[in-house]
Amino acid sequence: MDRRKFMKFIGCGACAAMSSHSGLLPEFLGGVQNACAFDYTRELSSVEARYYKKLPEGGIECEICPRRCRITDLERGYCGSRENRGDTYYTLVYGLPCAVNIDPIEKKPFHHFYPGTSAFSLATAGCNVNCKCCQNWDISQSRPEQTENFSLPPKDIIDLCQQRKVPTIAYTYSEPVIFYEYMYDTAELGHKHGIKSVMISGGYINPEPLGELLKHLNAVKIDLKAIRETYYKDYVDGELKPVLDGLIQIKKSDVWLEIVYLVIPTLNDSDDEFTELARWIKNYLGVDVPIHLSRFYPQYLLKNLPPTPQTTLDRALSICRAEGLEYVYLGNIPSHKAESTYCPKCGEMLIERRGYRTSVSGMSKNKCKSCGKIIPGRFF
Amino acid sequence: MYIVIMSRVAVVKYFGDFLGEKFSVSVYENMIKAGIGFVAGNLSLNEYFKQLFPGGAVGIKTNCLTPFNATPLNLTEAFVNILRENAGYDENDLIIWERTNHELKKAGYTLNAASTGVRCLGTDVATIGYDRTFLNSGKVNSMVSKILTRMIEHNVNIPILKDHSIAGMSAGLKNMYGAIHNPNKYHDNNCSPYAANINNLTPIRDKHRLTIIDAVKVQYDNGPGYAPHSIDSYNSLIISEDPVAADCVALEILNRIRARNGKKSLKELGREVKYLDEAEKLGLGQANIAKIEIGVLAIAEDGSISEGKLF
Ligand code: SF4
Repeated sequence: MDRRKFMKFIGCGACAAMSSHSGLLPEFLGGVQNACAFDYTRELSSVEARYYKKLPEGGIECEICPRRCRITDLERGYCGSRENRGDTYYTLVYGLPCAVNIDPIEKKPFHHFYPGTSAFSLATAGCNVNCKCCQNWDISQSRPEQTENFSLPPKDIIDLCQQRKVPTIAYTYSEPVIFYEYMYDTAELGHKHGIKSVMISGGYINPEPLGELLKHLNAVKIDLKAIRETYYKDYVDGELKPVLDGLIQIKKSDVWLEIVYLVIPTLNDSDDEFTELARWIKNYLGVDVPIHLSRFYPQYLLKNLPPTPQTTLDRALSICRAEGLEYVYLGNIPSHKAESTYCPKCGEMLIERRGYRTSVSGMSKNKCKSCGKIIPGRFF
Repeated sequence: MYIVIMSRVAVVKYFGDFLGEKFSVSVYENMIKAGIGFVAGNLSLNEYFKQLFPGGAVGIKTNCLTPFNATPLNLTEAFVNILRENAGYDENDLIIWERTNHELKKAGYTLNAASTGVRCLGTDVATIGYDRTFLNSGKVNSMVSKILTRMIEHNVNIPILKDHSIAGMSAGLKNMYGAIHNPNKYHDNNCSPYAANINNLTPIRDKHRLTIIDAVKVQYDNGPGYAPHSIDSYNSLIISEDPVAADCVALEILNRIRARNGKKSLKELGREVKYLDEAEKLGLGQANIAKIEIGVLAIAEDGSISEGKLF
């Protein structure tokens, strides 16, 4: 066993690994080091997984996500974070995040969820898809024994949020669906202590576990990676249909929803696709669901493509607005005016954003100061 | 590079007195030498090894997923002895390796990550890990163990033969899942074409020298986890330079052991092994059993060899 206090790692390899996932780690450590010390561990968890069934012929079937992995003894599911041991299924990552940070909520991105606040953000190793453009591939495509993990049970997260006065926990960076049990318990405990929870996900999850989870979440951001099945097959190793179904399910709940669409040159950037995307959102979710059209930078398995040209993003923005979507943002382009929120009725600027600096100047509670229009979302 | 006909496979069956659960080191040594004798053709054992391993560290990849049904310590030791005695290898140039230290240890191996002696270690040793370059072959994109990419020049694959609930069979090609960082991603469609693609990743393909499959106790069903009620004795090693041909013969043996135990064929169960044909398409070896030269050798306790039959 290799257990050391997290504090002893400051300035060492583990921090370097973490900081590669988040630019704000030093700030986080600086603030937290006097308040807490949590353990770094090489051990994996053995908490029984939820949503699986034992198969009559032996083995189990995981029912968390549409992949429905069938797994025999000592094998793991596709996500690499769950293991069958004697036909009992275990999550190996419960309480073991490999990336922990405090981020602005805008970084998730959420533009209509308590703007200007911060979120205690965490992720474990593993993912249930394999996007060729993943920006966190070093944790999402790893098994938990290949990452530096910290022992951080749900209660410690709540304590840290309270100490640091962080109002929200964000399950993010990799794919929270694969650490469902950890996320669920933390969100449930957070709820009891007045701490909100938000999930940043690809939305590849089955309806039943999603429905249960939504009871304890306050907001969800879904990466809708494309509007075509072929893209999901070729570049995600997943399926589009369950993601669309999940979006409808989330929208029908009380949980706040925003969408990100990463625009990748030549792969999902045609006018037809932007039109289909906007129409689907309008028809199935409504025009007031915010969508973030985000700029792609080459990485992981798509290093052969260039960053998304600004003109493509402007084209996408115009199409989505022309189709009637009311809150269309551009992401990964610091200081672009389409980062800010404008009133769809009178056009006044409501929330100004420059990078991660946010100023809510044009709103009074949830209304436009100028014309009184109610702006959807969660505001103080 | 290859010095003998690639698609030559030796099946070496032991017919000596065999009371215990395990073959001794010396029995394994005799079996390996007999098998190599067939594979090497006209070359002597020493000449053959010197050409196959002309210098540089040799890695020996085991299969230790399940501690009770892992590559036997005695087989690995026998091969190490032969490399030292017949190929003149220094103990410092031999590395027994696996995915994790934990797996090796549970299978009874003594870890040695020191700088001298026969090394025995997992990729998860803190200073090793996976090369941070993604290698691509077909549908596979993976990082490969630094043991393979940086520590060895030649690799010998020493798996066990067993049933596999998804792949159909686990033998040589499937064992190389233990060389990549993300094996969990590649089990769809009965591991096809993934098992072929993984073995076509440059360092795996280029450093492969020999496959020695332990088919002494064959778990013919309910694999890959340990299932003692599904084990039958076959008392053999399958040896070849051609990793696809070795697996092809192993599959024939597995299917026939399944049949004699009243089990349906893998095909009937929807677990047909499809990745061998894919491997042949990639030029990794011969998947057509009719085109493989199979030498079945019966070996007695005193080491004498006679012609044998598969069944
Ligand atoms: S959560 Fe993981 S194990 Fe479960 S079905 Fe999805 S990929 Fe498979």
